[in-house]
Amino acid sequence: MKSDIYNWFFLILKRDLLIAFRRSSTYITPLIFFLIVVSFFPLALSPDQDFLRSLAPGVIWIAALLSSLLAVETIFSEDFKDGTLDEFFVTNEPSFVLVFAKVLCHWLITGLPILLASAISSIILYLPASSFLPMICSLILGTFFMSLLGAMGAALSLGRSAILSSIIVLPFSIPTLLMGTAVVSSAINNQDYSGFLLIMGAMLAIGIPGLCLLTVEAILLNYE
Amino acid sequence: MLPKLKVKNLSCSRADNLLFHDLNFEVVAGKNIEIIGSNGSGKTTLLRILLGLINIGEGKLEWLDNEENYNHYRSIDCFYQGHSLGIKNLLSAHENLSLSSYSFGASEEKIAYALDRVGIKNHLSFTSELSVGQKKRISIARWLLKDFGIYFIDEPFSALDDQATSLIIEIIEELNAKGASFVITGHRASDVISNQIFLDHEV
Amino acid sequence: MSRIWNFIKSWTVEMGSPPLFFQWSSKALPWLAIISIIVFSIGMVWGIFYSPTDYKQGDVYRIIYIHVPSAILGQSILMFMAICGFITVVWRVKISGMLIKSAASIGASFTLIALITGSIWGKPTWGTWWVWDARLTSTLILFFIYTAIIGLHSSLDDKTKADRAISILSLVGIAIIPIIKKSVDWWYTLHQPSTFTLSSAPSMAPDMYQPLLVCVLGFYLIFAFLLTMNLRAEIVFREKNKTWVSKQYLNRQKNDK
Repeated sequence: MKSDIYNWFFLILKRDLLIAFRRSSTYITPLIFFLIVVSFFPLALSPDQDFLRSLAPGVIWIAALLSSLLAVETIFSEDFKDGTLDEFFVTNEPSFVLVFAKVLCHWLITGLPILLASAISSIILYLPASSFLPMICSLILGTFFMSLLGAMGAALSLGRSAILSSIIVLPFSIPTLLMGTAVVSSAINNQDYSGFLLIMGAMLAIGIPGLCLLTVEAILLNYE
Repeated sequence: MLPKLKVKNLSCSRADNLLFHDLNFEVVAGKNIEIIGSNGSGKTTLLRILLGLINIGEGKLEWLDNEENYNHYRSIDCFYQGHSLGIKNLLSAHENLSLSSYSFGASEEKIAYALDRVGIKNHLSFTSELSVGQKKRISIARWLLKDFGIYFIDEPFSALDDQATSLIIEIIEELNAKGASFVITGHRASDVISNQIFLDHEV
Repeated sequence: MSRIWNFIKSWTVEMGSPPLFFQWSSKALPWLAIISIIVFSIGMVWGIFYSPTDYKQGDVYRIIYIHVPSAILGQSILMFMAICGFITVVWRVKISGMLIKSAASIGASFTLIALITGSIWGKPTWGTWWVWDARLTSTLILFFIYTAIIGLHSSLDDKTKADRAISILSLVGIAIIPIIKKSVDWWYTLHQPSTFTLSSAPSMAPDMYQPLLVCVLGFYLIFAFLLTMNLRAEIVFREKNKTWVSKQYLNRQKNDK
């Protein structure tokens, strides 16, 4: 029986979100981790307001990248261990949709808390209010791209140490880091930042099909 | 009656070791295939090849499609259960069935019936609270969700008590009567009526 | 069109069978070694002893005859790896997976050489070992990507699997390299460092440029030579249980005696 692709998508999403919400650590950890990393910078460097303001874009983006990679290896590893991943791959539904649903779920449980945490951090790092909106926009695009990259890293290092996937992914996340900080610091300096946002959007638009397909390929590797 | 799946001259080698070669068998509706071999004889690999998780090395797989001729890719609803049960600890027994990849088109009544059939009384209890045997029963309950064409079950009889074993055999016979076929693996021959294929070979 | 396609496919598959490759590479290897060493030495000697001294930097600039070719190699090896990666993912050609693995360490080494020579060059010209210049930074990132690829390969035990894993990674790498370069450029212009500015390289005199071209060619040939050596070692390691390998080595042992 051929079934609706949307239902398939929502089935996976519902299942994964349900599991994530029953284990509150999945969405609390990135939030707390983000805030701890951010609060270390004033402690380690200087609580001076102007200094922190100039540092804020970089600090927020580094914290966002690190905390979005924090639980990245769990995207597939649990399903792989208990055998549900095999079953999802065996059905006639496209596995591309499976990967995309899992990436979206990962973004919902790490990306959204990161957005919340970055809103708090923008206050404690004295970020001007005018740069708040561009920061959130760039973080939405950037953390989603990180989830995609992270899923690929997780698929490649399935069953390996958690740190491996981060090391694989981090060099590839540099454009996101540079663009993201460029958006925020241009906004602080009242410069035009839309170009950087557009490029981040373009990366995401290419990344969703490209990285999802490569992730499928990477998962299938683990069955051989 | 045409066989649902024809396997022709299938060979596979892993890391320079020949696992099996020139394997020929047919999966006919209502009949079972049992693949018997020791650890590392390639049982799981064979199942994964049949299901398209691994590329076919040499040989051919032919799946019967609706027009009564053979298609390259599978066109029959397949059920696969690997070594691990495919059960999520953080979902209840009911959710494990309704949110599994096999639950499309399965009604609430069907889910409730399936759970009752395998003897799970409390449908809402979390799987993490259940014993291994009960988890195994939940995974068996999923067999009943839909009319699957072929069931591929990796070692269904490992670590089971007699009661559960007879339950599985009962359900297999029940589903056979409806026209479903089972491809199961194991270390030794089970009580299921089947064609047996031995993967062990002299090295 | 499809005929050309099939020809390329069958050719790669045929030439890619490890025993066959081993055979023809044994014949080609001495020639490759001789040619690459000759071209490399001509480039080096020409560049270091016979090219004119730079009026601004003096003799220090001669390090470009190592620095520039290795930087170019560092980038083109990743491109080579991505092409092999595509072949590995699409056609599952075994040998192209081994090619990526053998090329990765060479690429990383060349990138590292480019970074080290760059910083040696930087000390007398800029007065510091390291500058966060756009080109240096993107080379550093390139090096990180190589380490990610090598790290992934070494962490997976099944080497055939690892080959396919790194071919996926090198495909992502080649897609992201232009973005990295572009974003590092923007990042650099955004920050505009005041202390050190690397003025755009003045157009080189032809008698400085010609030896550089020979050096680049020499480095490419050295890469081909090293790659073949690496690949042969890799093949022998992977196929050590096959009869053709043991035959090969038994024969050689007999000849040695």
